[in-house]
Amino acid sequence: MSKSEKKIVLKSLDNEAFEVEKAVALQSQTIWVMCEDKCVGNEIPLENVTGQILAKVIDYCKKHAVVDGDGDESSEELKNWDTEFTKNMDQSTLFNMILAANYLNIKSLLNLTCQAVADKTKTIDEFHTFLNIENNFTPEEEAQICQENLWAFDD
Amino acid sequence: MAKDRKNVFSGWENLDTDILVMIFKYFSLDELTSGVAHVCRGWRVACCDPILWNTLDLSHMRTKFLKVSCMPCWYLVGHSDKDVTRILKLSMSLSKRNTKTLIFHYDLFPNDDMITYTTRRCPNLRRLVLPSWDRLEERGICDAISFCKKLESLTMPSMPNPHFVFSAIRENCKKFRELKVMGPIDLFFVQNLVCLLPKLKVLSLRCTSIRIDALTKILDKMKRLEVLNVSHSYIEVSDTEVTEVPWSTVIEKAFKLKQFVACKDPKTCVKCQWTDKDEGVMRWNMYDEGLWKEDEISSLHL
Repeated sequence: MSKSEKKIVLKSLDNEAFEVEKAVALQSQTIWVMCEDKCVGNEIPLENVTGQILAKVIDYCKKHAVVDGDGDESSEELKNWDTEFTKNMDQSTLFNMILAANYLNIKSLLNLTCQAVADKTKTIDEFHTFLNIENNFTPEEEAQICQENLWAFDD
Repeated sequence: MAKDRKNVFSGWENLDTDILVMIFKYFSLDELTSGVAHVCRGWRVACCDPILWNTLDLSHMRTKFLKVSCMPCWYLVGHSDKDVTRILKLSMSLSKRNTKTLIFHYDLFPNDDMITYTTRRCPNLRRLVLPSWDRLEERGICDAISFCKKLESLTMPSMPNPHFVFSAIRENCKKFRELKVMGPIDLFFVQNLVCLLPKLKVLSLRCTSIRIDALTKILDKMKRLEVLNVSHSYIEVSDTEVTEVPWSTVIEKAFKLKQFVACKDPKTCVKCQWTDKDEGVMRWNMYDEGLWKEDEISSLHL
């Protein structure tokens, strides 16, 4: 395999190009399949991911490729790195990271980001305000749900 | 500004159900029942996903009570019953009859209402771990078993007369194959077992005392038994003339089993010493949290 074949170019939705080692990119099952099928050249267009998010995804993949490859970092360190990685992400970044991880099919990153959301938002108020989700239940549904919160068994 | 925020953050409610389920998997039962399902429709659908309810594990909940020396011997403290009821109700409403494994802590004492309400809504239950029956009446237990037609595995306390329990299982649970008893085993218990559940495949009697006549009966009469676990249990010799456990005979009889598990070194094993000290009725709260969940048989290990 020649040197150029080891590199791969990922192109984001907003046309930002990232040149990465093939081993780094292949952590994405989606990219792996694309390469296997030879349906793309050396440049892979990723239509669902912006450059800002893709840069973060690549950071993650680089970190994990190195560790999986030669094992010079302990899993403890990697875990700490993962925690730091998601710690300061705002909700919108996390959300887009989840979508990207899902689209690119990187299971460990999807797990990590899902866990980060779970850790960050735990109360119903947080869901409504922090994530800005609208309550779209009908009044009937709402009433039925309130019934659930009664303590006693009614049958 | 508010509008901008809305634009940036919109999308959570339309997130793919599979991804939402993945996020919810990281929630504890308390978190899952506290309000996630009340956020919006999409989230409620995800909250009801069978993956989240396959196992309903209540082993973090305890009944808080005060023991006294005179009748009725114990008083419930505060809200613990209400908390359990609330969690059970919410869980049953979200699980949509998909729960296959239901786990109670040894210090969680459900009453008849709790157990019948729950089992009625778990028609697909395969495994019930219910180590404490102190507050359950015969009626409640029988009703609960009758709702679980697909039950295959039960963890129960030992009891003086298990006839009605085994009868109910025999009558209702055609696929029943696995029993774990947490407490001392005597001959009468085993006679009922042999008589009513002769098709049992797996039996775990760990960390307790087993009478030698009961053990012999199991080995002689339970022809279809494949796996027997007596780890960290001590064998009680009933005959006053015999003081030594006839291990060679026991092991010889156990040869026909696919798997016979006993502690290799009871003299130095700390768990065996605990069983001995507690006279076969383990005071689990004295030891590592979670020790009670252990089992040498992988299908029974929690």
